[in-house]
Amino acid sequence: MSSGNPLERRPVKLLIVDDSNIVRRRIERSQQFDDLQVVGTAANGLEALELARRTDPDLVTMDLTMPQMDGIECITQLVKLKPAVRILVISALADKATAVEAMERGANGFLNKPFSDRQLNEAITELMY
Amino acid sequence: MQSSGADRIRRLLTAGAGALLAALMALVLIVGFRLATRIRANVALLQHASLLEAYPAEVSQQLTALRERLGTLEYTGGVHQELADSVAGFDRSLAALERRPDVDPSVLRAVGHLWKAYTPVLAPVLAYSGEPYSDTDFGSSLSVSGKIYYTQVRRAELFAQGRAPALHRRLATLSAALQKRTSSAASRLRLLLSAGVLAVLLLGAAAAYLQLARSRGERAARAAEEQTRDILHTVREGLFLLDADYRIGAVWSQALNHLFGREDFAGLTFEELLHGKVSPATLATATKYIKLLWGERAHENLMKSINPLGQLEVMLDNGRGGKEAHFLQFNFHRVLGPKGVKHVLCTVADITPNVMLARELHAAQENANAQIDMMVSMLHSDPLQVGGFLDTASAGLKHVNAILKEPARSHAEFSSKLAGLSRELHSIKGEASALNLMSIAQRVHHLEDMVEELKGKSELTGNDFLPLVLKLDELLAHLRSVREMILRLSTLKDGASTSDGTLSTPVLRLPGTERPNGTVELATTLQGLARKLAEDHGKPFKLSLEGLEEVPVNYLPTVKDCLIQMLRNAAVHGIEPDAVRRAASKSATGQVRAQFRRVESGCELVFEDDGAGLSPEALKEAAVRKQLLTEEQAAELDNRSALALIFKPGFSTRAEVTMDAGRGAGMDVVAKSVYALGGRIGVSTHPGRFTRFKIALPAPSQTAVA
Repeated sequence: MSSGNPLERRPVKLLIVDDSNIVRRRIERSQQFDDLQVVGTAANGLEALELARRTDPDLVTMDLTMPQMDGIECITQLVKLKPAVRILVISALADKATAVEAMERGANGFLNKPFSDRQLNEAITELMY
Repeated sequence: MQSSGADRIRRLLTAGAGALLAALMALVLIVGFRLATRIRANVALLQHASLLEAYPAEVSQQLTALRERLGTLEYTGGVHQELADSVAGFDRSLAALERRPDVDPSVLRAVGHLWKAYTPVLAPVLAYSGEPYSDTDFGSSLSVSGKIYYTQVRRAELFAQGRAPALHRRLATLSAALQKRTSSAASRLRLLLSAGVLAVLLLGAAAAYLQLARSRGERAARAAEEQTRDILHTVREGLFLLDADYRIGAVWSQALNHLFGREDFAGLTFEELLHGKVSPATLATATKYIKLLWGERAHENLMKSINPLGQLEVMLDNGRGGKEAHFLQFNFHRVLGPKGVKHVLCTVADITPNVMLARELHAAQENANAQIDMMVSMLHSDPLQVGGFLDTASAGLKHVNAILKEPARSHAEFSSKLAGLSRELHSIKGEASALNLMSIAQRVHHLEDMVEELKGKSELTGNDFLPLVLKLDELLAHLRSVREMILRLSTLKDGASTSDGTLSTPVLRLPGTERPNGTVELATTLQGLARKLAEDHGKPFKLSLEGLEEVPVNYLPTVKDCLIQMLRNAAVHGIEPDAVRRAASKSATGQVRAQFRRVESGCELVFEDDGAGLSPEALKEAAVRKQLLTEEQAAELDNRSALALIFKPGFSTRAEVTMDAGRGAGMDVVAKSVYALGGRIGVSTHPGRFTRFKIALPAPSQTAVA
């Protein structure tokens, strides 16, 4: 992963998708990587797809239960739209079946709510670096 | 993998040695054959050479014999012929030698030269064919040609005697050379054969060594195999490998047989392994998860964290023809090969005892927490009150038990049974929550839930009530433990220990008469309940009580039940949330008032709140919804009758059931208990202003003890 790392040249573009603005702000604030740049926040799947189209993110943190379009559906479409994007599911749905479903649709990582800053950073590191 | 590489090398070596051996043997045979052929040819040459060697002397002797015979007039034909044969033999042998390439040509040339010199002298001798003797009467004598013949023989004899040694020498040299060549070829052949034998011996030794090494390797492989088998037999976890088609490999641990009660795992897919043992949804998730394990995105840690089979409940055969729930823990480890994931190693362990232990611990923890909660709440309440409650609750539950035991056949009988249970449980719950005994209230609530569920069933049998009986037993046991706790707490509070183990002693031992205590207790209970209700529902209100000390002792239980129920109704239905109150320009704190007084006809209990009041229309709608009335009946109902709906069994306007209201067994109970004492109950209201209940009871002296 380190060879030809594009991350050294430009920051990782992060798109945050969560219907709770508390969680959105929490993720925004907790990221401590200098080269992580939040390019957008979305409150539902439809917004997320629209923003992904415009901002071309490298990494998306994805909630699962959201109005209008839920996370699972959003992952399915996002992977079609941006095959290279890496998706970290952050959900309060703790059951393993949901996690497996999300992974099957194309998610790359899974983090349970509530999470600590350390857990979030570790999850992002494992996915991107 | 290493051992198989060494094996291959060993096999290659063996094959190479074999090929080398064959090639060497072929070489030895070919070279030996050629040497032998040459030796055979040389032996033939030697024969010729030794023949040639003899000829010069023979020719000389024959010439001498011929001359002597001519001298003595003997017959010469025989010797002449022998001489001719010798000359011809010499020519033949010489020609034979000349055709051979490996004979030294210079020696042959010299021999040929010497032999050619014989020709001029020998040719006349050999050519003679006349009669050498002439017979006369005087005897025989040499004829003329005989004399010439004699001279020629004599000349040839002299020539041959002179030349024979030189020719013989040459021929001896030739013969010696041939001899030497033959013997050197023979020694080379011997050498070759010895080398061949040596090589064969060496190769044989090498082959034997390799064979030995191979058998040693095979023994090691067999030992390793045996160890693997021992491990698989002994390990307590189920172990097996899944291939890329999610099929189980050819080996697995013995424990797997015990876990799944089968032995035919080879080639079984993971899905087939779990089929019928878990729910279809779990099976689908498991199958997806297994597929993900082969993917690139599957980090070991991530996959471990989302493993849906970490604690899988499965139904397994218990060996007695039945099924038993077990908890299995599946773990997956990917086995990587040069081309990505080669296999997935699965381990399965039966963690049922661990899970059960964890559950027991959890239950014990919950229980302990509940006990602490209860202790705390009891520390805040009067043991007398709680004791009183326990007495009424026990009596109530006995009644419940009695209802449960009532025989019933028709649906109507079952329904009335359920309605009776509902009422009884509801009032126990009310009192329990009034005293903040939540552990009891929750248990009763649960029982109520079960009763409600039964109400919804169309067909009922006696068996449907069995779970209720069990739950009731549990509740009674809980009440007993609460009693014990009270006993301990009261002795703690009094600072005096009683050796008497019964509950009633410390409670009844307290000073004071029954009556004032009962009413004081009632007031405390009600205020406690009011505070709790205000807090629970977020509706601040103030309860004022008047004249409770006037309540005759035999009315006390009924008055208490009624007040608790009405207070709960007031808190849930009557008092509005403070925002609503403020909007209606009312004081933010609600007012609830209960007044008991003696009147001419007996006693009167008034209970009112300054809340939202009752809406006849809302009551009618609720009654229709509850199917207590048809829409037509509701339309015809006047306001007064509509208000009376609240006393109907099964009526409740609250859609959602809470601990405090919504069961529809509230005012119904109140009304019933009032009627039982020969009293009356009435309600008046003004929407947005108040609700007022008025209960009239006969003078206590005229009634029988309730």
